[in-house]
Amino acid sequence: MTELGEHFFRHEYGRLVAILSRRVGVHHLDAVEDAVQYALLMAVERWPRDAAPENPSAWLFRVAHNRLVGELRRRARHAAVAEQHSLGVPDAIDEVPAAFLAGDVRDDLLRMLFVCCDDAIPAESQLVLALKTLCGFDVREIAERLFVTEANVYKRLERARSRLSELGLERSELTPNHLASRLPAVQAILYLLFTEGYLSSHADGAIRRELCEEATRLTHVLAEHHVSATPETFALLALMHLHSARMTARQDASGGLLLLEEQDRSLWNQREIHEGMSWLARSADGDVFSRYHAEAGIAAEHCLAPSFAETRWDRIVDCYALLERLAPSPLHTLNRSVAMAEWRGPADGLAVLEGLEPPTWLAGSYLWSAVLADLHRRCGHIELARRHTDAALDGAPSDAVRRTLERRLAR
Amino acid sequence: MQKFLCLQRSLPGAERQAEKPSPAQMQAMYAQFNEWREKFQKNLVDLGGRLGTGRVALPKPAPDGPLVEVKELVGGYMIVAATSLDEAIQIASECPGLLRPGSGVEVIEIHTPG
Repeated sequence: MTELGEHFFRHEYGRLVAILSRRVGVHHLDAVEDAVQYALLMAVERWPRDAAPENPSAWLFRVAHNRLVGELRRRARHAAVAEQHSLGVPDAIDEVPAAFLAGDVRDDLLRMLFVCCDDAIPAESQLVLALKTLCGFDVREIAERLFVTEANVYKRLERARSRLSELGLERSELTPNHLASRLPAVQAILYLLFTEGYLSSHADGAIRRELCEEATRLTHVLAEHHVSATPETFALLALMHLHSARMTARQDASGGLLLLEEQDRSLWNQREIHEGMSWLARSADGDVFSRYHAEAGIAAEHCLAPSFAETRWDRIVDCYALLERLAPSPLHTLNRSVAMAEWRGPADGLAVLEGLEPPTWLAGSYLWSAVLADLHRRCGHIELARRHTDAALDGAPSDAVRRTLERRLAR
Repeated sequence: MQKFLCLQRSLPGAERQAEKPSPAQMQAMYAQFNEWREKFQKNLVDLGGRLGTGRVALPKPAPDGPLVEVKELVGGYMIVAATSLDEAIQIASECPGLLRPGSGVEVIEIHTPG
């Protein structure tokens, strides 16, 4: 029997939704998703009995396609009866492809990604739509991964769908102009997808990795297509690979989080580092320097450092300073203070934060308190250190984080 | 070995499960089903299939009384070979998805002449 890949069903779901919604128009997304769901169920039912077909993808496409054509014809007849109209089945679906065109698939996935990133759809809905249509997660799985309720996921999806159904009436294809103007949004959504996985406090490491892998997979699609193969895309891909390289080493055997200095660097994935570095090299083309370049640069410094002590902290400080300018956020300033403390000492680290008025979301977070606690402790400010330590431990989002903080701040 | 007819039955009064499996769940179902098939390779005579609409043909004149449509009760069938009814029930029970809320399996011995 044909061995199916690890995420075969999920990835087929994304592939088929992309191909079919391109053929019939994205306003039929619900019918498309139903047809794809049906085809996958048929496969589960039939393949174990009759042995999987030689080309499972083509089989699924045929079944989903036929189901969809049938459903759209039925709807068209309904509409025709209701409006005394002539039969108006979209022409595109009558062109059943004689052969299965694998070459189109990447284009279709890419196009679907750009469809999801319509600027009339709020970013949080774009993310959910991409997870649903391109990655093949269902509502329950998305809710679990994003730490939100299923009702919230439904609401976000609804907002995206209602926008797409408006779009369908115009039946507009994406023009090269659309693609160029939406590229930053597409990159942002893939970045968000990656960080959802990387920074998630989800207990199951496999689930976190899965989101990172999906983001990386889709960014590869982006990087391999001429409309979106830009230095920013390459930098984004570099940063994903460089972070992924260190992912396994971030956890100890019992799932607890390890500090950078505690990590076993021999566990870092050299293949990922290598791939990340080669994308980083490709990103250094032209005079573009995006936030992804800065972040990939920081990740690269960490990956290349033989030890924590030998890290080139000066370069990391520079990269954070650039990042603050490109994408202003007090979080970057906080990170710069940490790097500065390693480079020039804790007093210089504290100096970076002087005069910074953190917004409430940051001031109330364990990160802010933990950094201040650590810097004050190292400066010998016992009382301040204790106060910030208590605040950090109180605000820790999970036991794994709390244990890590206790280890670090108790010294 | 004897043969047994296994009928998947919807349990009366049970709500039909409205929730659709996700692609990841379908992949898991697929793997489980293959495992089960592998395990009982020797016992699975006919994996059967789903049953669709049916009609009962009756001698005329038809007797009075309610006649249920076949599909309302039986969702699918298969035939397994086993040395005892208990073993046949065991094989059928391990089939993924067969025993779940709202669905059970009826196992009936098939008598063959000879």
